[in-house]
Amino acid sequence: MVREFKLPDVGEGVAEGEIVQWLVSEGDEVSEDQPVAEVETDKAVVEVPSPVDGSVKEILAEEGEVVPVGNVIITFAVEGEEEETAESEAPTHSQERVSEEPAEIGEEDETETPAGRTFAPPNVRRLARELGVDISSVSGSGPSGRVTEGDVREAAEGGNEETKGPKQLDEGLPSATRKAGEEGGSATGADTADLESADRDRTLAAPATRKLAEEEGVDLNRVPTDEERDGEAFVTPEAVRQYATAQREAQAADAAAVAESGTEASTGGEPTGSEERLPYRGIRRTIGRQMANSKFTAPHVSHHDTADVKRLVEARADLKDRAEDRGVKLTYMPFIMKAIVAALKEFPELNASLDEEAEEIVVKHYYNIGIAVATDAGLMVPVVRNVDEKGLLQLASEVNELAQKARERSISREEMQGGTFTITNFGAIGGEYATPIINHPEVGILGLGKLTERPVAEDGEVRAAHTLPLSLSIDHRVIDGAEAAMFANRVIEYLENPTLLLLE
Amino acid sequence: MVVGDIATGTDVLVIGAGPGGYVAAIRAGQLDLDVTLVEKDAYGGTCLNHGCIPSKALITATGVAHEAGNAEAMGIHADPAIDMGGMMEWKDGVVDQLTGGVEKLCKANGVNLVEGIAEFDGENRARVAHGGDGQGSESIEFEHAIVATGSRPVEIPGFEFDGERVVSSREALSLESVPDSLVIVGAGYIGMELAGVFAKLGTDVTVVEMLDEALVGFADDLAKPVVDGMEDLGVEIRLGEAASDWEETGDGISVTTETDEGEETNYDCEKVLVAVGRQPVTDTLNLEAIGLEPDENGFLQTDDRARTDVENVFAVGDVAGEPMLAHKGMKEGQVAAEVVAGEASALDYQAVPAAVFTEPEIGTVGMTEAEAEEAGFEPAVGQMPFRASGRALTTGHTDGFVRIVADAESGFVLGGQIVGPEASELIAEIGLAIELGATLEDVAATIHTHPTLSEAVHEAAENALGHAIHTLNR
Repeated sequence: MVREFKLPDVGEGVAEGEIVQWLVSEGDEVSEDQPVAEVETDKAVVEVPSPVDGSVKEILAEEGEVVPVGNVIITFAVEGEEEETAESEAPTHSQERVSEEPAEIGEEDETETPAGRTFAPPNVRRLARELGVDISSVSGSGPSGRVTEGDVREAAEGGNEETKGPKQLDEGLPSATRKAGEEGGSATGADTADLESADRDRTLAAPATRKLAEEEGVDLNRVPTDEERDGEAFVTPEAVRQYATAQREAQAADAAAVAESGTEASTGGEPTGSEERLPYRGIRRTIGRQMANSKFTAPHVSHHDTADVKRLVEARADLKDRAEDRGVKLTYMPFIMKAIVAALKEFPELNASLDEEAEEIVVKHYYNIGIAVATDAGLMVPVVRNVDEKGLLQLASEVNELAQKARERSISREEMQGGTFTITNFGAIGGEYATPIINHPEVGILGLGKLTERPVAEDGEVRAAHTLPLSLSIDHRVIDGAEAAMFANRVIEYLENPTLLLLE
Repeated sequence: MVVGDIATGTDVLVIGAGPGGYVAAIRAGQLDLDVTLVEKDAYGGTCLNHGCIPSKALITATGVAHEAGNAEAMGIHADPAIDMGGMMEWKDGVVDQLTGGVEKLCKANGVNLVEGIAEFDGENRARVAHGGDGQGSESIEFEHAIVATGSRPVEIPGFEFDGERVVSSREALSLESVPDSLVIVGAGYIGMELAGVFAKLGTDVTVVEMLDEALVGFADDLAKPVVDGMEDLGVEIRLGEAASDWEETGDGISVTTETDEGEETNYDCEKVLVAVGRQPVTDTLNLEAIGLEPDENGFLQTDDRARTDVENVFAVGDVAGEPMLAHKGMKEGQVAAEVVAGEASALDYQAVPAAVFTEPEIGTVGMTEAEAEEAGFEPAVGQMPFRASGRALTTGHTDGFVRIVADAESGFVLGGQIVGPEASELIAEIGLAIELGATLEDVAATIHTHPTLSEAVHEAAENALGHAIHTLNR
């Protein structure tokens, strides 16, 4: 009998995953729980295990393919088992999910219309009831956001909350294989154009204008216009020509700029061949989405200062060898974590998150510090738990271990969750100040510049001193600049006098 | 309970064989439930026997006569003679055919039919008293009960129905002869429909209405063509007058009305028809026995699964609340049966259409422009007057219009209002659009047959989109 296997919900609220690698081939014998594929989802690569003993009948997704949760990715031949179709499996599965995590499905009401109305045909409404899905929480992918049968099935599989996001992104995103310049009015070109691009849902234009736009490769909804017909934007042939020209000029300028900057571009003027389009998905897209979400949700204010860390450098130098004897590489990070936790205890509002829905500020009385780590795949933030309860050596080894795991991408989702405050150490690569983006829904993040000798003026003299530039970003909805400054001052105080940490 | 009484067991007891009840019973039968349907009077309930069907039969019949007699413009000169007996016979034939059909369908779906009046006798038990002396009674034990006892006409003080001088719509639909004159109390849809029927039969009709408007609940621009149409038929409509009393005169009666200011008017007529609304029938059910209490208006409160506060008892149709419309009751009956059978059924319709069979007709569904605005939508509205419809011109009926209301942002159709020829039929398209989540463009992009009245729906959608061809765009 054939057993279909659907891409499971590999992490909370994940809507889709990229098949990184198949670990089996068609015809292979597999045993239950044997990993059959590596799937990259949110911030982790997850191994998907076989649910049965049997053999691989058919592999239905290619490596590199992005598959929505719930799609059949592989089929197994199982001896003696009754055939079980995807359909017969669906209701029980969905009911389980609903009862397990009711909040998850009910949380987002993206499709909610003014009257609390969800637009879906009766057969889809019935399906939703049958699958135990609250239709008002399902994002519609149909015309004007109408909820379709597929949307409901997807929601039943548990991955719906984000469907709207990724789907829209996908539509607007270039595919990996699309050639540059294939679509004249692409976002890249438009952004740099002198003539600012519009982005309407509907545009009125005469058929001849539509034809012209097609010929020019221009998306009518992007053509700026002041004209209106019955309250709808109306585009004339002149506007289309003007926009198309501006687009071409902008693209040429882009290409020229790339060529000038000495990168791969070999031909000036013609955009074709001077661009490369990479898929924006997986971890990169997740990072992007989270950054955008944080940046556009929390009004960021950044506070910059510099600590004179002479004594910290000495303290570390004293302890480094002893730590090494115990097999631990002691960096500055554990000191900084301790300093931050000590300061957070005095300014607890920075160790908090904002529960927007409940309109409550959640102040945490535990100290889980996230450490942003740059990896080949992008930024990851492993979390060191209960920093206040741990010694320098333990912190050092935990940070090292987590960073290593992140770089190897063997880190689990759990190890990246539950942070209360984040540190980002861009100074490890170089540089002084930056604007760190808050790890939403936390309310603060401290960025570390490069710890190095810099000139410091003291009593009218300039001397060389080890200094550490600090960049603190805070969510101004929750924290004011004064508090941020006081918090930073306290962190600096601890970093400049590390012995104070002994009192903690 | 009678000593020694043995109860018959059933999965589902349905009380009342009107549109809500018989649909529930048939559907439950289809779902392999053992169903018992109790009816006290006639299968099909008010709708088939004393309401929708006989009134529409007479509306059509009198309409044919009226049309034929008023078609000089089409070159037809006729003076139709109405044989009231023949007309009633034809109407009764229609009713009989339908009620017989309901009975057959019930039997074919395995529904046990019981005649009598049912009342509750405990949580899972009901007694059915059979009509007539000495017919006895029987007990039925049920797992689930579906109450579908419908409604009856409301009486007003001083105008108790006697079936002779003071009649309800029920008797009015079975009159053996055409009254010379008739006062109709109530300018709601029943009053207005019957005013049209009798006016076309040659009766001198006066409609008195306590409120300051006719067809309350319908937008002014929908009601106006109907009021005009009625007045063209010779119906006198008196608003702001409440019927207060009546008395016998020599060969008829005199009905007295009173305004708020106390001004009295007398109307001499042969009969008075009281059509001021309907009330649910819940007082015959001995609801206390199952711990149910109707609300202040006599309705049983239900949830979206048609359940009452008592878990195994459902209520459908007129007893389950406004709007008291047969098609709403049918849907509720279907849902109740499916829920009893364990299906994931629910009352999640977006809109209930309504129709008034006057001349011209009114059909409405979903939101009006004002309601859409109130609900937080930015409404886009399109309208098509029937005078611009080729088909309407060829029928000789060009009063009225089709209006479609949509959400400007998404284009989703939210509602429609039609007044004019075949409005009751045409409204279905807009209802379908609402349920399917269709947009104005969907409706506009659908080719409609030419020349038909349905083109007006298409044109209204085009009009809302700003590119109507046959009308000036707003």
